[in-house]
Amino acid sequence: MSSEPIERRVAYIGDRLRGSRCTLCGKEYFKPKNYCGSCGRKSYGMIENIDFFYKEGTLDVCTFVNEPTNKFTKLSPYIYGIISFHDEKVRFPGRITDLLIKNNDEIDLSNLEGRKVVPRFRRRHAVDPSGIVPTISLAFSFSDEYYPYQEYRIVKPSKEYEKPGIVGYGAYSSKFRIKEETMERSVPFIDEDSITAAVEAGKMALIHSGADHKSVAKVYVGSESNPYAVKPIASKVAQVLKLGEECQAEGVQCVDAVDTEFACKAATSMFKDAASLVYYPDLEETHSMVIGTDNSQSATRGEPGGELDLFVGYGSCAFIFGTHDVIAQFEGWSSITSDTPDFWRRDTQPYPSHGGRFTGEPAYFKHVTKAVQKLIDQLKLEPPDVDYFVAHQPNAVFPTRVAKALGFKEEQFLPGLQVAKFGNTYSGCSPIGLAAILDIAKPNERILIASYGSGAGSDAYSFITTPQLVDKRTRQKFTIRYQAENKYIDYVDYATYRRFKRGMHTT
Amino acid sequence: MKAKCPAIISVGRTQFGEHYEIEPEHLVWEAGLTAAQSAGVERRDLEACHFADYFLPITNKIGLEEGFLSELLELNVPMEITRSFSSALSNACNAVQAGKYSLVLVGGMEKMTDRWDKIRDDLMLLEDPWSYYAGCTPEANHELMLRAYIKKYGISGEQLDILNMALAEFAVRNHSNALKNKYAQFRKEISVNAVLKARATAGRPLGLFDFAPISDGASALILTNSELAESYTDKPVYILGYSLATDYITFPSRNDLTGFIAAKLAMNDVLKKTGVKLEDISILELYDQSTMMGMVSLEDLGFCEKGKAWIDIHKCCQEDREFFELNGRKLFVNMNGGLKADGNPLGATGGAEVFEVFQQLRQEAGERQVKVDDELRYGCVHEMEGFGTKAYVYILGMEPDEQ
Repeated sequence: MSSEPIERRVAYIGDRLRGSRCTLCGKEYFKPKNYCGSCGRKSYGMIENIDFFYKEGTLDVCTFVNEPTNKFTKLSPYIYGIISFHDEKVRFPGRITDLLIKNNDEIDLSNLEGRKVVPRFRRRHAVDPSGIVPTISLAFSFSDEYYPYQEYRIVKPSKEYEKPGIVGYGAYSSKFRIKEETMERSVPFIDEDSITAAVEAGKMALIHSGADHKSVAKVYVGSESNPYAVKPIASKVAQVLKLGEECQAEGVQCVDAVDTEFACKAATSMFKDAASLVYYPDLEETHSMVIGTDNSQSATRGEPGGELDLFVGYGSCAFIFGTHDVIAQFEGWSSITSDTPDFWRRDTQPYPSHGGRFTGEPAYFKHVTKAVQKLIDQLKLEPPDVDYFVAHQPNAVFPTRVAKALGFKEEQFLPGLQVAKFGNTYSGCSPIGLAAILDIAKPNERILIASYGSGAGSDAYSFITTPQLVDKRTRQKFTIRYQAENKYIDYVDYATYRRFKRGMHTT
Repeated sequence: MKAKCPAIISVGRTQFGEHYEIEPEHLVWEAGLTAAQSAGVERRDLEACHFADYFLPITNKIGLEEGFLSELLELNVPMEITRSFSSALSNACNAVQAGKYSLVLVGGMEKMTDRWDKIRDDLMLLEDPWSYYAGCTPEANHELMLRAYIKKYGISGEQLDILNMALAEFAVRNHSNALKNKYAQFRKEISVNAVLKARATAGRPLGLFDFAPISDGASALILTNSELAESYTDKPVYILGYSLATDYITFPSRNDLTGFIAAKLAMNDVLKKTGVKLEDISILELYDQSTMMGMVSLEDLGFCEKGKAWIDIHKCCQEDREFFELNGRKLFVNMNGGLKADGNPLGATGGAEVFEVFQQLRQEAGERQVKVDDELRYGCVHEMEGFGTKAYVYILGMEPDEQ
C-alpha cells in the first residue's frame, strides 16, 4: 500500500473486523454501513456497529495458495478460504495463519472445511522496508488448536480496593518453538511481530480482567523491537482494542497511549506509573494497561552479537491495573539506574550488540540485587516472607544465581523461571514470569518481581494476591503452562526459525 | 419496418498471445483497420469510437488512451474508454439505438505481458482489494467456487472424479477447437492427463491448464444501425439484444457462492427482451477464465441444470461430439478455443467472442464452421468483468428484430 489514507482506512476496518448490523432485519455486514440494503431508507439510524474481533467463525471452503501474489510470497504456501460468522450471516475472505505447510498432499481440504476459527491480528503482507507496516485480522487460526477461542465479557466490578493493583493479565507466545538442547524458545510465525504480539496480549488481558475496554485511560507499550524507529505501537494497540471511549465520527479513541523504551525493563518500569494513574483521586472506575512485547532480536549465530541467537524468544505480556476487582495488590517498589552500556542497538542497525561478560557482573547482578535488597529493606521483609520471586531471565543461569544470592529457595523462584520454555522475550520476559505465578498463586501470597533493563536499571515490585485471583482464573484459558505444554506446538528447525524471524522483510 | 437494432458490419482482430514489440494502441489500430477495410468503411466516416481496456493505466502507464488513438487514427471524433469490450459495445449500441451515431468503431485491447511480473497483484487488487489483503490470488476464487459447488451439491467419490474429469475435458476441448483458429494464443492439443497432471503438480484443485492465460491482443468491429447495415454488407449480423448486470465486489459476501448471479440476471433479461428461446441459440461463446467458470456459466446462462453441467460436459466430451447436446438441441460452445486457448487479453476478449459468432452466423468460419440440422439462428456472447462482478450477454442473429 503506497497511500497513507488508504492504509489508515483499511487498518481501521480490517484490524478489528468492524461490521454493522441492521436492527430492523438483523442482516449483518462486513465494514461499517449506515443503511441496510434490504430495509432501505427506513434503516437509516437503525444500524448498529458490531465487530468480529472476539468472535469465533467457521472455515466454509478453502484452497491452497502456493503461487501467491508478490506481497504474499514470504507466507507461501498457505490456506486461503471463506470464513463465516453468526451462522453464515456474514462472510469474510481469510487466510489461515500459524500453519506451516510442508507438502500440500499432507492436507485434505475437506478436513479443514467446517472447522472453527478465530480471527488473529497479523501483518497483512510484505511492504518496502521504508513503508507503513500493514496489519489486518483477516488471518485466522483453528480454535481447537494452540490458540483457543475466548469470549470477552465485560463484568461489572464487585469490589473496590483501597490500593491499586493488577486486575487482569494476558501472556502471548506463538505456536512455534525451536528446541535446542534444554531450551525451547517461542518463534514468531512469518506474519507476527512485536506489534501483533502486543495486541494479542492486551486482548487476553481484557478477556481475563473482564474490565471494560472503554475504562482504560492509558496504555504503555514497552519494546525494543518496534518495527518502527518512529511511530508508536501503543496507538495501534489502543485503536485495535478500542481502549478508552471511542469517538466514532472522527475514528479516534479517548485514551493516552505511549511507547516506552529501556531495553528489557521498558514495560515493568511503567507498572508504578500505571498503578499511580488509576490511584489518582476522584476517578471513576479507571484502568491502565502495560504491555511488554518483543520479537527479540539477535544477529545470526557466528556473527558479532550472534551469541544471543541461542536465547532470543518471542512473546508479549499485558497487565491491567486498577482499583476494582484487584487480583494482586501493589505493596511497594524500588528502582535502580546507572549509565552502564552493557547492551545496545544503534539506530538503523538491525541487531543489538552486547558487552559479553560485562552484561553479567557489573550490569545484571549489581542492579537486580540492589533493587531487590532496597525493596526488601523498605518493606522490612526477610526472604522467607516472600512466596514467589521472579527475576529478569535472559537465560536460566542469571536469575537462578541472583535468586540464590538473595537468599531465595528453589520453590520460591522456579515457578517464575520460564525462560527455558519461551526464550528471552526481552520486555515481555520478567512479566511472563509474573504471569506464570499469577496462574498458580493462592490468595494472600507475596510475589516479588525484579526486572532488568540494559543500559542499565532494575525495578523491583511486591504484590500481594487477593481472593479474586482465584475467581478470575476461569477466564484465563491461555495460561503459561497451557502455552508451554501445548500439544499443538510446532517445533521448527534452525533454518525455518531464521526464516520466521525475518518475517515478511523483503531484504 | 426494421426495428432500430444495431448491426455489426465487420469485425477484426489480432492474434492473441505475446506482442512484446507492439504498443497496445497499435494493436487496436490494426484490428480496427482490418474491420474498417473489410466493410469498406472510410476512417473519416466514423462518427465515434468506443474502446475498451481493463487496466492499461496500470500495465502500460497509459492514461489518456483516447489521445493515443486519436493521434493514430487522425480522427477527432468522440472517443470513450471503458473496461471490457462488452461495455464498449453496449455503450455503442445505446448510442446507435438512440440515433446519436450511425457508424461507430468499437475496439478492445490489452497488453498484459508487458507487466508479467506484477500482473497477478494488479488483477487481484482490481478484482477485490479485501480479498487481496486476505491473501487471495486470481486463481483462488475459482477454486473456492469449485469447493463450494462440490459441497453444495454433495458431489463425492466417483462423481467427484467425473466432475474433475469433465473440467479437464472442457480444457482439452477448448484446445482442440483452437487448432482451427489461426488467431488463437495456443494452437496445441493437450490431453486430459496433462490437465490432471498440472493440478497434481500445483497441488491444488485446479492447475495450469484449467486457467486462461495472460495475453496481449486487440479486437474491433464496426457498428451501424439496421437501416444502413445492408448498404455496407450483404450479411450484417444484428445485435438482437444485450443486457448487463452487476454483483458485489467481494466474492465471499455474495449470497450464492456457486455461480454468478450477474450472468444469470443478464441472460434472463436478454431472453425476455428479445423473445429468443434458449433452445434456438446454437452458438455460445463463454467467458471461461477457468474450466470451473465455464462449467458454472453454462448453468448461470440456463443451458444446464444447476449442479449438473459437469455431467453434460463429460457426456459431450466422452462421445467426442463437436457440440453439447442439451435437451435434444445442439449447442456449439467456444468454437474459437475459448479464453483458455484463444487467449484472454481482457479488454479485447469480448471482441474475439463476437468475432467468432459473427463469422459463424455468416457461415464464414472456414474449418471451424458449425453445422446445425436446421437454420443457424442465434449466437450468444457472454462476457464478465472481475470475478463475476459484471456480466454482459449479447444475442446475435442474421435477421433484425421483427417485433
